[in-house]
Amino acid sequence: MAGEARFLDPAIVARLGTIDLKARTIVEGFLTGLHRSPYKGFSVEFAEYRQYLPGDDLATLDWKVFARSDRHFVKKYEEETNLTCHLLLDVSRSMGYGSGPITKLQYGSYLTGALAYLMHRQRDAFGLIAFDDRIASLLPASARAGHLRAVLLALERMPLGARTNVAKPLHDLAAAVRKRGLVVLVSDLLDEPQAVLDGLKHFRYRGTDVVVFHVLDPYELRFPFEQAARFRDMETADEVLAVPSAVRAGYLERMQEMIAHYKRELGLVGIDYCLLDTSQPLELGLMAYLMTRRRVL
Amino acid sequence: MFGISFLSPLFLIGALAAAVPILLHLFHRRPEAVIEFPAVRLLTGAPVPQHRRRRLRDLILLALRVAALVLLAVSFARPYVAGAAAPASAPVTVVVLDVSGSMSAPGQFARAQQAASRAIAQAPSGQAVAVVTFADAATIAVAPTSDRGGALAAIAAATAGAGGTRYRTALARASEAIGPRPGRVVIVSDLQQAGWETNDAGGLPDGVTVEVVTVPGPAGNLAVTSAVSRDRVVTATVQSYGADQATVDVALVVGGREVARTTATLAPSAAAEIELRGGFGDAGYGQVVIDDAVGYQHDNVRYVAVTPPPATPIAVLVADPTGTTGGIYVERALAVAGEGREFAVTVADGRALSKWTTAELSRHAALVILGTRTLDRSGRQLVQGYLAGGGQVLLTLGPDVDPGTLGDVIGTDLGVGPAAVRAAGATLVPADTRHPIFRPFLVPAGALGDVQIEQHRRLKIQDAAVLARLTGGDVALTEQTVGQGRLLVFASDLDNQWSRFPLHPSFVPFTVEAARYLTRGRQQRHVFTLPEVPAGAAAEPGVTLVGEGASARQVVVNVDARESSPAATSVDEFTRGISRTSRSAQEELAGGAREIEDRQRWWQVGLLVMLAALAGEALVGRRAT
Repeated sequence: MAGEARFLDPAIVARLGTIDLKARTIVEGFLTGLHRSPYKGFSVEFAEYRQYLPGDDLATLDWKVFARSDRHFVKKYEEETNLTCHLLLDVSRSMGYGSGPITKLQYGSYLTGALAYLMHRQRDAFGLIAFDDRIASLLPASARAGHLRAVLLALERMPLGARTNVAKPLHDLAAAVRKRGLVVLVSDLLDEPQAVLDGLKHFRYRGTDVVVFHVLDPYELRFPFEQAARFRDMETADEVLAVPSAVRAGYLERMQEMIAHYKRELGLVGIDYCLLDTSQPLELGLMAYLMTRRRVL
Repeated sequence: MFGISFLSPLFLIGALAAAVPILLHLFHRRPEAVIEFPAVRLLTGAPVPQHRRRRLRDLILLALRVAALVLLAVSFARPYVAGAAAPASAPVTVVVLDVSGSMSAPGQFARAQQAASRAIAQAPSGQAVAVVTFADAATIAVAPTSDRGGALAAIAAATAGAGGTRYRTALARASEAIGPRPGRVVIVSDLQQAGWETNDAGGLPDGVTVEVVTVPGPAGNLAVTSAVSRDRVVTATVQSYGADQATVDVALVVGGREVARTTATLAPSAAAEIELRGGFGDAGYGQVVIDDAVGYQHDNVRYVAVTPPPATPIAVLVADPTGTTGGIYVERALAVAGEGREFAVTVADGRALSKWTTAELSRHAALVILGTRTLDRSGRQLVQGYLAGGGQVLLTLGPDVDPGTLGDVIGTDLGVGPAAVRAAGATLVPADTRHPIFRPFLVPAGALGDVQIEQHRRLKIQDAAVLARLTGGDVALTEQTVGQGRLLVFASDLDNQWSRFPLHPSFVPFTVEAARYLTRGRQQRHVFTLPEVPAGAAAEPGVTLVGEGASARQVVVNVDARESSPAATSVDEFTRGISRTSRSAQEELAGGAREIEDRQRWWQVGLLVMLAALAGEALVGRRAT
């Protein structure tokens, strides 16, 4: 845990104000850490001036240079890219579960917000798609100024949806995306694994890179219940009467099988998979994203 | 059959609380905690709780909780095992069977047994039954029980004896058997009138119903009511209780051999004295026998002692010379005891007694001092030595007693005042009516209350027990030991000077009982009448050997002649004669049950088991959660 000490606790992030502030705090802190780390070059830095050519964006003109030399120059940045990123956030009812101070949806929202903020700093175009069994909210990818605010506002007001059906929105989105880019999926993946995999593979077939953030609650990973209880599914309302001590081993086995299955199957098609526990720092997600981005670019 | 009874059965109502956990178990299903969980589908197929085991566990919990509540209620009800006794709260039918001599006419007692058995058989189902047999004394033959076979067997085993009839004693015993229960008493008796005449006490509690089953006696009865031997001639009294003239053979049997026989003709309800002459030989005892096949059988024989035992010598010390006035009342009173042969009374004045030797005085079993004025110094020392050496003295403090020299006479200072105290109308009040001297006055209690003592002397009570007081509070009669002897002090006189006591009917029994009390151990009575028997003798008529070694002697025991009269009361009179006692008095009878419960202490066991049940419930309950 010493390595994670410099990261922010999600519980502390949850107590910060707006999601805008949350995202900025996460990313700035993360990037500050990166400057002292071997991950140099990820930040956006000034590179050179060049002669203005017709068609260049006037906003890139350096007016101070023009005033001194009476010639037109434009700024050239090192990390200026044309990456288009689609942030897919699962807002199904199962994402509303939280055994600790934050739910999976909150965790996913903070992560998505932080990613959007980071993309914004890197001049990447990004869009937001929230879905449950259908696309609940869609903000097309854009690198415009003000788009970040629209995305963060949408995340802050994101309502909880109904049942998860990851496959359908993925197929719909895969069919709609025409430009190669990056798809980031934030979900608990509590759906039929094969359907989820099929949906994600659809992106891969179209040449889109995908990174999957599998968000789970610590209780889902450890099942630490003690007393006999009636466990009700948050989406289907199915109930199972169970004595935790009797079912724990089988449950954990199935959970690990599911995680291993996703990791294996996604890895086979070149999709990055990152398991996140809502008690873990959000920066781990940013790290995974940047690793993927470097590979993509 | 053993039964469990309860000292406080009302607490058993608390056992109804056991219904609460049962109802909760039946109607209240505790909802399991519901946990909203997203990965429930991963639980599908997991082993669910085993409902059968859970149901069994619930039943064990229910049983433990019910057991704890029931045990708590039962413990507070104070249970006890009363053996075969019926529960203290069960209604009981008590059959009181008369086994006195007046039930001994041919066929009479068999009819009584049938009636008693019928009463047992007809007792309401669910009621306990009990059997009390009575004559002079009453016995609970079968305590309240549900075992009717045992009660019937006890009735079948009963026999009519030769004892007298005491209804009050029987009622008291039946009352004891009933205890605090609701009850019914069935009295099976001939309702002999003499049964109410004895001086005893007893009644039935309020609310106890009485049913009387009369077993009539014979129309007539012939009885030998007395037999004495004087100069080897036996004089027997034969009484006829019938309405017709009767002729009966009277025989004298000595050593199993008839030595004399005569025939007597008796008028209706009349008695005749029959003289029987015959050789007794070496036998000291004989029996007068009549042949009465119709009447009671127990009174057809009367035992007679040929040679009476020597009378007990008693000396009476008076102030005036013998033959004037002193001592005549005491002498005459003692002379009638034991048909004139119980006491040999010697009356002597002080001057005469002073010349007696110590041995001569010691020969007397008791000394009654009525006057000391003529007693000289040697006489005073003689009396003092007699008392200190173990003599028995009745001292009266009449006008002939000199208080100044009294200390020399008895060897101790009684603190007697010189002057007499006048207390007109003062009467005797026994301090303890159970004292042998006052036993004849037990009932009616006021017999001594009519005795008025005009003058008396006050004395200090020092190491003396007060046996009676005067109504003014002064001491009337005390008892104390002096040396090895015993001293009774009567605060007035017994010579008809300071009181009219000697003229009162109670004077003779008082004097005789006082003399008997003083001469206990030195008397040699040889004739007893039931129920009085010498120590160690059976309570049945006949010749009995009492004592051991050199002091062994034969005594005769005869039936009470009052038991020979078939005169009976009606059922109404009998029922009216039953006194009633309050139920509160009966609560004392529950003390027996309390003692049993106190010995057994099952309530402690109950509470311990209850605690164990609670501990088990906690353990099982904890495992369940």
